[in-house]
Amino acid sequence: MESSEPRRHFFDLKIPLGSLLGFYGLLLLVYGLVGPRDIYQKSANLDVNAIWGVIMILISAAFLLSAFFERRNRSNS
Amino acid sequence: MQPVISMNFIDYMILGAYVLVTIVVGYALKKYMKTSEDFFLSGRSLPSWITSLAFLSANLGALEVIGMVANSAKYGILTVHFYWIGAIPAMIFLGLFMMPFYYSTKVRSVPEYLKHRYNEATRGLNALSFAIMTLLMSGISMYAMALLFELTLGWSLTSSILLSALVVLIYVFFGGLSSSIYNEVIQFFLIWLGLLPVVYIGLHAVGGFAGLVSRIPPSFMHAWQHMGSASDNPMGVDWLGVVLGLGFVLSFGYWTTDFLVVQRAMASENLSAARRTPLIASFPKMLVPIIVVVPGLLAVALLPQFKVVPGGPSPDYNSALILMFARYLPNGILGLAITGLLASFMSGMAGNVTAFNTVWTYDIYGSYIKPNMPDEHYLRMGKYATVFGVVFSIGTAYIVQSFPNLMDYMQLIFTFFNAPLFATFLLGMFWKRTTPWGGFWGLLLGIMAAATHYLMYQLHIVHYSSEMAANFYQAWWAWCTDFVMTIVISLFTKPKPESELVGLVYGLTPKAHSDERFFRRPAFWGILALVVMVVLNLLFW
Repeated sequence: MESSEPRRHFFDLKIPLGSLLGFYGLLLLVYGLVGPRDIYQKSANLDVNAIWGVIMILISAAFLLSAFFERRNRSNS
Repeated sequence: MQPVISMNFIDYMILGAYVLVTIVVGYALKKYMKTSEDFFLSGRSLPSWITSLAFLSANLGALEVIGMVANSAKYGILTVHFYWIGAIPAMIFLGLFMMPFYYSTKVRSVPEYLKHRYNEATRGLNALSFAIMTLLMSGISMYAMALLFELTLGWSLTSSILLSALVVLIYVFFGGLSSSIYNEVIQFFLIWLGLLPVVYIGLHAVGGFAGLVSRIPPSFMHAWQHMGSASDNPMGVDWLGVVLGLGFVLSFGYWTTDFLVVQRAMASENLSAARRTPLIASFPKMLVPIIVVVPGLLAVALLPQFKVVPGGPSPDYNSALILMFARYLPNGILGLAITGLLASFMSGMAGNVTAFNTVWTYDIYGSYIKPNMPDEHYLRMGKYATVFGVVFSIGTAYIVQSFPNLMDYMQLIFTFFNAPLFATFLLGMFWKRTTPWGGFWGLLLGIMAAATHYLMYQLHIVHYSSEMAANFYQAWWAWCTDFVMTIVISLFTKPKPESELVGLVYGLTPKAHSDERFFRRPAFWGILALVVMVVLNLLFW
């Protein structure tokens, strides 16, 4: 390889990205559960906020967990 | 006019959180910006998943999203040509054949490659035309966003322009290319997560995919069947125009020579990652029609104003996506969709600004105005260039207000600059006899051929069935002129000695030997992408 020193990465993008999506997920889920109901007439009576909130929380968890495990592996080795 | 969409506090919280995170990410990158390479090329240290998503997002600006939804409502599934034949072969070619020349020679920009391969004049011509093009594009992005937000949310034109300019300025100023790339990755997720709900709800409302097919004209569901002659399909283009103009010249010109996209691959951590960047990006690229073509088709099937009436008045197709939002998205998810659009406008603009400040600093300022200064000087110049790049973009945003159709206008700019440039690159990289002056005059004559063709079309000396067909053929003729003239002039002028071309030309460059496992090899990904593309085209034939 061209350089012997370990390459310097910038900070891990997965953390801010995962946090942002997690915040959105929670916000949508809570609003979907306790917010007004009549707005869902628009969306064919599907509570899309709650559904999409759950999906975004899962995506966010995937980012944050993978960032967490990568960091732990790096400090172990 | 009453705004079509009314956002509530939840929607604004979502929008605000995005703006906050982009600024924090940009600011947090500030401490890593020690040299000009950190600022302009992310220190060549980014992993390929990040560069791939940024590579793709650089071309998924909101202008494209809105324009392509409009095209789908107007032309149906023909729009996929912009995503499949009009992108994938070029991305594969870039990854497999061209990236080694860009990455291994350690050039810092596309014009810099032209300087090594040809001469100073060729570089100057390309640097100057590219700098102008990026500022125009960034102004177009900003104006399109401001116009959209004025109509839909009731924000004033000036406040949208100033808000987006300020946010982009802050994060590019601190974090350079890395900020821009990180924001493109965030944008990639937001645009998908923001647009998928409208696809989901729309398909639910129309009765699934079968319901959709039954409610749109049958010709809207075939990508190739009606391409035999230009008069048989709504686009007014025949298959030859699509394959040569779009699939070959415009697409290869854009994806392989436009520094805005190539810069993302150059930021990769090593050559193999740089080559994988466009190859990995080609897979999500093939899926983009799900979020742009399907909403367009749904608009035709569900919204009464887009019903196809032969001979009836033409609806405003550019509003198709927004009207779908307004009709089907409740507050909450609505804020997410609007944020996705805002994110892609801003990152489209940031991409142009970062490409501009790099080319300005390395290829114009550092070459002609003040060469041989210490690195800190150029790092500082890059930051100043960001400021005046944004200021100029604001200026162009007000200038482009007088242009009627922004999408066609963008394609037109590409036919002038990217289409001939691709011939110059092709000959430069694969034919060692191409001479420096052959390259320069070929490029200049190619640009002039595009201008001549444009004039002839405007004066009605040549005719096409549509604006789009004119653009495709203009690209083709500009490319041909450059290709032929470069060869002819090369045969009469002196070539560079072979010793100066090592690493720059195919055949004089040692083959990179790879012992990586097959799933990391570029060739594996290239072939897989090609197979998937062919299958998709057959499915929607």
